[in-house]
Amino acid sequence: MRSEGKAKRGFGSPQERVRLRLLRLLSSAPFAFLLSGCQGIQSALDPASRDARLVAELSWWMFTSAVFIYIVTIGLLAVGAGLFRGRKRLSFRSSTTLVILGGVCAPIIAIIAIGVSGVAIGDETEGAREAGTALTIEVVGKQWWWELRYLDEAGEVIAVTANELHLPVGERARLELLSDNVIHSFWAPNLQGKTDAIPGRRNVLFAEPAVEGVWRGQCAEFCGKQHTLMGFMVVAEPRDEFNAWLERQASDALAPPAPGLDVFLDLGCGGCHTIRGTPADGQKGPDLTHLASRRTIAAATLPNSRGNLGGWITDTHEVKPGALMPSFIPEPQDLHDLLDYLEALH
Amino acid sequence: MKARVLVDASDIDRFAPHTHPLWWGILGAVAIEAAVVATLLTSYFYLAAQNPAWPPEGVAPPDLFWPTVVLVLLPLSSFTMWWAGKGSDRGDQRQLSIGVTASVTLAVLALVARSFQIAEFDASWNDHAYGSILWVITGFHYTHVVSAVSGTAVVAVLAWRGYFTPERQLGVVVDTVYWYFVAGVFLPIYLVLYIAPRLL
Amino acid sequence: MTAVGIETSGHDPALEPSSYGHEAAVGREAFERIERTWRSPAGFVGWFTQVNHSAIGLRFIVTAFVFFILSGLLGLAMRLQLAMPLNEMLSPEAYNQIMTVHGTAMMFLFAIPAMEGVAIYVAPLMVGARDMAFPRLNAFGYYVYLIGGSAFFLSLALGMAPDAGWFNYVPLANKTFSEGYGVDIWTTMITFIELSALTAAVELIVTIMKLRAPGMSLDRMPIFVWAVLVMSFMILFAMPSVMVASAFLMMDRLVDTQFFIVENGGSPLLWQHLFWFFGHPEVYIILVPALGIVTSIVVTFSGRPLFGYTALVLAITGIGMVSFGLWVHHMYTTGLPFMGRSFFMAASSMIAIPSGVQVYCWIATLWGGKVRFATPMLWVLAFFGVFIAGGLTGVMVASVPFDRQVHDSYFVVAHFHYVLMGGAVFPLMGAIYYWFPKATGRMLSERLGIGSCLTVFVGFNITFFPMHILGLQGMPRRVYTYVDGLGWGNMNLLATFGAFLLALGFALTLFNVVRSLRHGAVAPDNPWGGSTLEWATASPPLNCNFIQQPVVESRRPMWDWREAGSRTVVAGLSEDRRETMVTTLLDARPQSVMVLPGPTPWPFVSAVAASFGFIGLIFSPWFFPIGFFAVFATMVFWFWPRHPWRKK
Ligand code: HEA
Ligand code: HEA
Ligand code: HEC
Ligand code: CUA
Ligand SMILES: [Cu+2]
Repeated sequence: MRSEGKAKRGFGSPQERVRLRLLRLLSSAPFAFLLSGCQGIQSALDPASRDARLVAELSWWMFTSAVFIYIVTIGLLAVGAGLFRGRKRLSFRSSTTLVILGGVCAPIIAIIAIGVSGVAIGDETEGAREAGTALTIEVVGKQWWWELRYLDEAGEVIAVTANELHLPVGERARLELLSDNVIHSFWAPNLQGKTDAIPGRRNVLFAEPAVEGVWRGQCAEFCGKQHTLMGFMVVAEPRDEFNAWLERQASDALAPPAPGLDVFLDLGCGGCHTIRGTPADGQKGPDLTHLASRRTIAAATLPNSRGNLGGWITDTHEVKPGALMPSFIPEPQDLHDLLDYLEALH
Repeated sequence: MKARVLVDASDIDRFAPHTHPLWWGILGAVAIEAAVVATLLTSYFYLAAQNPAWPPEGVAPPDLFWPTVVLVLLPLSSFTMWWAGKGSDRGDQRQLSIGVTASVTLAVLALVARSFQIAEFDASWNDHAYGSILWVITGFHYTHVVSAVSGTAVVAVLAWRGYFTPERQLGVVVDTVYWYFVAGVFLPIYLVLYIAPRLL
Repeated sequence: MTAVGIETSGHDPALEPSSYGHEAAVGREAFERIERTWRSPAGFVGWFTQVNHSAIGLRFIVTAFVFFILSGLLGLAMRLQLAMPLNEMLSPEAYNQIMTVHGTAMMFLFAIPAMEGVAIYVAPLMVGARDMAFPRLNAFGYYVYLIGGSAFFLSLALGMAPDAGWFNYVPLANKTFSEGYGVDIWTTMITFIELSALTAAVELIVTIMKLRAPGMSLDRMPIFVWAVLVMSFMILFAMPSVMVASAFLMMDRLVDTQFFIVENGGSPLLWQHLFWFFGHPEVYIILVPALGIVTSIVVTFSGRPLFGYTALVLAITGIGMVSFGLWVHHMYTTGLPFMGRSFFMAASSMIAIPSGVQVYCWIATLWGGKVRFATPMLWVLAFFGVFIAGGLTGVMVASVPFDRQVHDSYFVVAHFHYVLMGGAVFPLMGAIYYWFPKATGRMLSERLGIGSCLTVFVGFNITFFPMHILGLQGMPRRVYTYVDGLGWGNMNLLATFGAFLLALGFALTLFNVVRSLRHGAVAPDNPWGGSTLEWATASPPLNCNFIQQPVVESRRPMWDWREAGSRTVVAGLSEDRRETMVTTLLDARPQSVMVLPGPTPWPFVSAVAASFGFIGLIFSPWFFPIGFFAVFATMVFWFWPRHPWRKK
């Protein structure tokens, strides 16, 4: 059983890596050659939203200016102390001019540039922008996974899912970040900068994918033993696909009761997991009602496959040391039933 | 290399208590403690701002009587301390000893008053952040009065044994600076812990 | 004195006398009597009673570098673990402990104490004092540091080290989420270091303000001394904040206070504000003395007076003051109002002005000079190359929208290693090469030094430059591994390779130091032709520092003396008692003479009592009163007047 369970973490399979359709705006930027071939599904350098693009452009501007300042400063040092060794010293006046130009004027220009761009871009990226944001999602940081609660206009929860955030393309979704344990930080670099989920606070983050695609994000605030493997996926899809997805997520489990459900309940999985429409209503772990619809398990650590599911259940801490779920080693037949059932939770 | 003597130190004062580096040192200690108090009081207001009600629902602000007694006793003890120093400057060992002893006594009385007041607190340190900060600020000051009292008690013993002379009174001078601080810092604490909840 | 920036004379160290004739100045008999008065007791027991600043300063430096090597090796362990995706060399528990101990120890046990050590060793010499104002307090501070630091590393060996990161955020550090003693050990260790840093700060301030040699008015003080003064004031006002924070946390864990418990009115952000109100100045506490070191070396090796003395003093003081208004730039992602963050964005980038002024003052000083590229100067060049890059990324992360992308990512890791290594470690290495001859009487090997500097410089950039890119590519910090297929593998492997090169470079210096202690060429009093007073004493310094305390008439006493062919001194200090001049605050006119205490074991005993109290606090609150009165008792013995002085 164990050998089947032995899982490989990662994102090797091609269908997991959806190529960005966004024209690489940055390829024209200076120094892009440094990074060619490194575009990723979790990278601030491959913006898939207006917010991330603005910041990426800002990064390139700042980087280019920094290189320029660096070269000038080091150049002056090299020339002054090296090449002109023992020749003419700077007069008091030229020295003063040098210090004022390099040490006062240049920084002041830099400060103004940083300030103006920072406020302008900050305003853009942190603001609601278009009035009447349609979609509000509560993103709850857990140790060490994410709970996602889709709300309707009245603020009632429509659907609960985990670790896979679906968003309609071209719409600005409002993410409300919560935590009832330690501080986490929600970071999907292709879409938006990060914001912390802090107990006692309700921080807000806007996400607005410009293109269809699948990206990965990761918790960015150190939150304990498995901060490392606290990832999540973001899926941006057209509005109608999104609606269909949300409707499914809102429904009870679609799988008919099967022997696997009894195994699930007998093993005590229901003490921690909810499968809507069954007696399983635990709150400690991710909602599994539509587990099979998700691309990954264990917080974007493993692709969602039968083998990985089996590995996760039977050898949880090999996959994710410290995860707050015990391993279970059921009878082989029971495990098959259980996996059949879990795979039917579309 | 030849040496040119520009300063002759033979006749310079060796016992100058009011310009002694230790005097500056104690000032440094006072600056640190003042920064600690400022941080504590800022934390008090920060926590207050984070909470809808401060003190929390159902908790009464601390009573004014005992703190006010302390507010009288501590300056009084500073006055006797100052008076003792005057005596010491003149070489009057008796005035020094009496003054210092009076200060210690007054401060001990202040500690007693403080203890009564602590016993009356409506909030415990472990049920709300309000109680925690109240107790900690109080405890911080209490500890400082205790250490000032202990240190000064040693000075008093030395004074009665006739150790201090006008040249050799650094201990008194330094102890007095610290004493002023411990007494004086009670005023902001008083205003924040006891008056502010009634005004805000 | 000539106008600022105009060359006075070229300084050729070959023209320096190899000894300034210390014995001849007062005669053999007086010389020996003075040296006996100031001698530190030898032997194992004697070691615990030494109080001279040169002994204590050296101990601080050596201990700090031992901790540097240990934490550096932990850095290597992290690099090994991160060399490839899904590596299983370290468990998450082990990694988190190693990461926390590396960060905490580098900051609290290496960088600050090393700077304090250099300050304690050099500053009294530079101001021409015979010792520090409170030698016993100095010793006390050292023992507290030694005990606290050793206990901290011991906890790692025992596998119970803290594992919540070097800034130890709550609620993760609360007892609900961090059981065991790890975090308690962290708070306790912080308390030790606060105590030791505060004692050092107070006595450095008093020493610099009151014990300067006659004539050394404030505007004649070497920049290094200014830097130490600013550092000490920063410690004075920054440490209390973390002191309060760690006390709150200790109490939350120990006696159930509710400072950080949201359910009962507490606030996790209170911790962040308190920590960073200290934490930001802290990084400049590390930087500022390093700037002083850089200035000393630049002046000496360009052989000409500093350009822009006043500008530099203002810049350093400005950095010190402004740094107290920037802390929120570590909290850009906590959801504070954007308006407020914009203010801190402006304030943070403003630090570029004083930093830039300094950089360009140094360039102006070096410009066209007969710069001697000896090893200390090479380290300063490495400092330029690395620190400026780190400073520029610092200005980048000061931008709110940019920081929201790179905060808590490897970009920040790259930023702070550039500024910490560039701004602190490189100058410290320069300081070692610069003052080693003074402290030991031996020269370090130049060839090994050049090799070490080059290797470190190259290794450093290979290690940390890729981290900028990794951060932008989405790699968060404090992860013990990363999943496959995100494209981070190669850069990480490169970084790991660089780290070993880096270690090799440091190993060369270590070897150099150990070898030169015995085999190095004998150093003259002023091997580099320096202009400040530490070069006026013997190498290694006399027990009394100066057999006759110097009198100062300009910013560059050594160069003046050389030109005049004679030096200016104080006479009339006792030969049988530890005496040093006390001067006025601003213009250093003689005011009185301070009689310093001699060797004593009480600071050690007192430090042990305090440690007993602090460490006990991890287990029970009762150790608070116990420790309090134990320390009080030892203090009474410490200060109890045993030899009533008589006026001479
Ligand atoms: C010695 C240590 C040191 C120094 C000197 C600095 C210097 C600076 N730092 Fe850095 N910093 C750290 C140590 C240091 N830092 C550490 C340890 C952290 C991380 C803590 C943690 O999270 O663990 C950190 C993190 C940190 C952050 C938070 C990042 C985050 O967590 O998201 C920010 C944000 O503003 C910042 C900004 C700056 C700025 C603006 C400077 C400026 O002072 C730089 C000024 C210098 C220059 C600019 C170069 C010289 C100037 C010129 C050559 C003139 C020309 C310049 C221009 C025209 C711009 N630092
Ligand atoms: C002054 C501060 C300082 C210094 C000098 C360093 C030096 C180094 N650091 Fe740093 N580091 C920090 C301060 C510092 N660090 C801080 C504050 C953090 C944040 C922690 C946190 O997030 O909480 C951090 C985090 C940090 C991380 C990120 C961890 C994470 O986020 O998960 C990494 C990873 O690569 C790293 C690596 C290194 C390396 C390879 C070095 C190298 O430069 C070390 C090189 C030195 C040596 C190798 C020792 C000398 C060796 C010899 C003399 C060899 C001879 C001896 C023998 C062989 C016996 N450090
Ligand atoms: C003690 C509580 C607990 C029990 C009992 C428990 N789980 Fe879990 N489960 C968790 C937690 C917590 C997680 C999230 C772990 C993580 O990603 O860090 C989880 C995650 C999962 C996941 C991955 C979900 C996702 O979308 O990432 C699956 C599948 C799962 N559990 C199945 C089971 C099965 C099957 C059982 C019974 C055999 C079971 N669990 C029993 C707590 C529990
Ligand atoms: Cu959650 Cu890190
Ligand atoms: Cu900072």
